[in-house]
Amino acid sequence: MALAAARARNDVPTLQAVASVAAASDLISARGVSVTMGSGRHRQVILDNIDLSVPEGSFVSLIGPSGCGKSTLLKVLAGLVEPSTGRVSVAGHAPADAARRRMIGLVFQDANLLPWKNAVDNASMLLSIADPTLSKAALRERGQAMLDLVGLGDAAHKMPNELSGGMRQRVSIARSLALDPAVLLMDEPFGALDAITRDTMGQSLLEIWERTGKTIVLVTHSIDEAVHLSKQVHVLGIKPGRIIETLDVPLPYPREVSIVEHPDFIRLHNGLRALLRDSHRPGQPS
Amino acid sequence: MSVQSSSVTPREMPAWRFVTDRWLPPVILSVITLLAWEAVVRIFAISPFIVPAPSAVAEALAANWGTLLQASIVTAEEILLGFVVSVVAGVALALLIVRFDWLGRALYPLVVLFQNVPKVALAPIFILWFGYGLAPKIILILVIAFFPVTLSMLAGMESVDRSLVSLMNSVGASRSQILLRIRVPHSLPNLMAGMKIAATLSVIGAIVGEFAGASDGLGYAIQFASTQLDTPLVFAALLLVSVLGIVFYYAAELLERLVVPWAPKFSGR
Ligand SMILES: Nc1ncnc2c1ncn2[C@@H]1O[C@H](COP(=O)(O)OP(=O)(O)O)[C@@H](O)[C@H]1O
Ligand SMILES: [Mg+2]
Repeated sequence: MALAAARARNDVPTLQAVASVAAASDLISARGVSVTMGSGRHRQVILDNIDLSVPEGSFVSLIGPSGCGKSTLLKVLAGLVEPSTGRVSVAGHAPADAARRRMIGLVFQDANLLPWKNAVDNASMLLSIADPTLSKAALRERGQAMLDLVGLGDAAHKMPNELSGGMRQRVSIARSLALDPAVLLMDEPFGALDAITRDTMGQSLLEIWERTGKTIVLVTHSIDEAVHLSKQVHVLGIKPGRIIETLDVPLPYPREVSIVEHPDFIRLHNGLRALLRDSHRPGQPS
Repeated sequence: MSVQSSSVTPREMPAWRFVTDRWLPPVILSVITLLAWEAVVRIFAISPFIVPAPSAVAEALAANWGTLLQASIVTAEEILLGFVVSVVAGVALALLIVRFDWLGRALYPLVVLFQNVPKVALAPIFILWFGYGLAPKIILILVIAFFPVTLSMLAGMESVDRSLVSLMNSVGASRSQILLRIRVPHSLPNLMAGMKIAATLSVIGAIVGEFAGASDGLGYAIQFASTQLDTPLVFAALLLVSVLGIVFYYAAELLERLVVPWAPKFSGR
């Protein structure tokens, strides 16, 4: 079902996040989500009144200054942080329920592979917890298929300390894809990689997206990455964390690395730069 | 033994280079030390009662070989049993503290407090309670050696990356699953380091236990020989205690290599 939606994703109407009502095609919708932490003098509004819609099969980026709450928002969508107010639904379920139904795949900046397991066992590690009925052979097979998908089919028996940073992150993506989730939530997945590896990884992620039709929400602090990869970019401001602008990226797919020379790319890039400069200015909590 | 040669890893070295670079220098230094020791004792005619010459120690070793071997076996048995009991108890305690929050909050400060009791001073009490046999030595080793095991394993289990725990939670992993599949294996390198400390402490515990009251073992032999003013025999027994210590330490290190070959210190490059 996700695949069909992905094939049609270019026909999905572009949505202005702030005003949009949850449409039938939205896989993720957040309405009026706020997160406050601490109490008394230490009470801190981390996210303020977030409205976010992610159409099924879409590729959406969240960009904003450090500490603005991107990771927290992603954790709310993953059901790992309970919002103080507001409602979130992922494919019609509360996020924690969606996670239990294996609809959510998570990728963090650190690949966090288990150093005592080889690549293929790492790739099937989460699946083995999520579905204890699967046999060892079935887990291996699934792990291998996912490694093939992320371009690491030959490295199945390598241990994590034999893999480069980029390869480790590929295994981490494979590990989440093994769950066959509806959405991949990625928190600065390429943040620790060098510039060249970053570009290759971005390109691979686009290929994986095209082939699997997954919905992807990517947290990044790289403007290039946001414009290169996503259909839509949400810019977050700080203090409190809120969405200050939503930009559509009307560049056609498939996108190559050379897209950075496209005039539209440059225009969007500059627009985002200006927005990010504004995003550091604290706002008034609503 | 030039400085540059130390940058060559053993794997790339021919075998003879490894021997000449790594083994020869300490062996040469030891031989020189022993010869100098022998010479000083002879030249200044130092009484063997004060400092015995290496040759006198060797003689004592040869003359009492049967007794000393027998004593070594007794002490080795205490060390091995005490070590195993300490590791089992230390691991169990660490698991309990991590698995049950309330128990951890109750136990942890008490364990730390207990660590500050000078446990060597407990040896006479254990002899009083449990007699002259194996039991008081095992218990003394236990109270001395469990702590580094517990502490290192706790540190390892608690240093698991939080986002990895988030990942496990997101697929509905239970606390026990996270403990068994992530925290425990993750803590093994730390546990192995703690076990090496416990191995050394076990040797100390066995000897102190024998000092406090025993009818056999190397600690007993040292005490007996010193009451007889037989200093060469004291040194001979000391030598065997050191050999036991080295054997247990390297056994623990071998175990480490077997259990956690994936740990950063072995994955070199
Ligand atoms: N568990 C927590 N308790 C208290 N404050 C937190 C917690 N997690 C994050 N914060 C605070 O929330 C803000 C946003 O954090 P985060 O979501 O990590 O931002 P980002 O990912 O955009 O850098 C920061 O000011 C951080 O200090
Ligand atoms: Mg973050």
